Amino acid sequence: MAGIDGYEATLKILLIGNSNVGKSSLLLRFTDDSFLPQDDIAATIGVDFKVQDMLFEGKKYKLTIWDTAGHERFRTLTSSYYRGAQGVILVYDVSNRETFDQLENWFDELRTYCRNKDVVKMIVGNKVDKEEQRVISRREAEAYARKSHTLFLECSAKTRYGVKEAFEELVKKIIETPSLWQKRPSPSNNIDLTRPKDDGKQDDGCNC
Amino acid sequence: MSDLPYAADAEAPLSTEELNVLRKQYEHESEKTNGDVTTQTKFNYAWGLIKSRRSTDQQFGLKLLSEIYNDIPERRRECLYYLALGNFKLGEYTKAKLYNDKLIENEPRNLQAQSLKDLIEKKLKSEGLMGMIITSGIVAVGALIVGSYFKNSSKK
Repeated sequence: MAGIDGYEATLKILLIGNSNVGKSSLLLRFTDDSFLPQDDIAATIGVDFKVQDMLFEGKKYKLTIWDTAGHERFRTLTSSYYRGAQGVILVYDVSNRETFDQLENWFDELRTYCRNKDVVKMIVGNKVDKEEQRVISRREAEAYARKSHTLFLECSAKTRYGVKEAFEELVKKIIETPSLWQKRPSPSNNIDLTRPKDDGKQDDGCNC
Repeated sequence: MSDLPYAADAEAPLSTEELNVLRKQYEHESEKTNGDVTTQTKFNYAWGLIKSRRSTDQQFGLKLLSEIYNDIPERRRECLYYLALGNFKLGEYTKAKLYNDKLIENEPRNLQAQSLKDLIEKKLKSEGLMGMIITSGIVAVGALIVGSYFKNSSKK
């Protein structure tokens, strides 16, 4: 049942990935349907935030989307934004091998700071408009996504290709996972910045 | 939240434990190096302080950011942004505008700074309006007092 604000639920979505893979561009395309060339778009400082409504099966959802800076120097800061996220989009650039290889590091971070096993993860290969410079094939990325048990999509913030679909598919999956959004996580379940990264043990509680 | 989207980050404080982690790191390094804390540690702590709800924290955060701004030129853009956000939270809208305008001067198409600019200007405008209401209120009261004085004195 929708709340008094008319929303079925408010969903928190996080964008992570190396710098310059186009996280902010994806968000700008999704929320404002516009695109700025890379030279014109400023590297995100800390974190950026946008709100977008989405209709799904006749119900209205409020998406709060947190666009984190990919730069190393904001890494400590961005770790605090995993708290309460229901969906995480891991972005790489199909024309840059390093950004794909480093998805593993982003998964590590995700496992460390977001211990909710139900959180919906999606790998998104951006910049497919640069087909001639492509170094990561769809097949390779698909195989990796299957292995990592995540959703996968390719898109281009520049041409719009796949952008809306990526967010829609993620939201659909979140909605299909009621445990993620139907009960409020306890406020005492804060993330722990002190928690060592190599501590891989899973908690039963919902820390994410 | 949706009408103030870009201040959402600054308005979401860290938990006490989280801020403590950043503070301890800062103090630990400060002790070990006689005050020569690494820029990253100082910046992380400043960011946590800016997000805090306590104005003393926010003010100390601004102090640390000013130090980084002066010492490390390549960190200036993020310092300007958080100096603007911190002052915005403290209600120092004129100062917030100063820092944010400086960032826009360097990066005219920075969308984060553009949004913060809208927020600051909205606040400045409503403050200006309040100022006008208060001023005109004072004038009206003043006029009444003066008026009653003359009324009384003319009776004499």
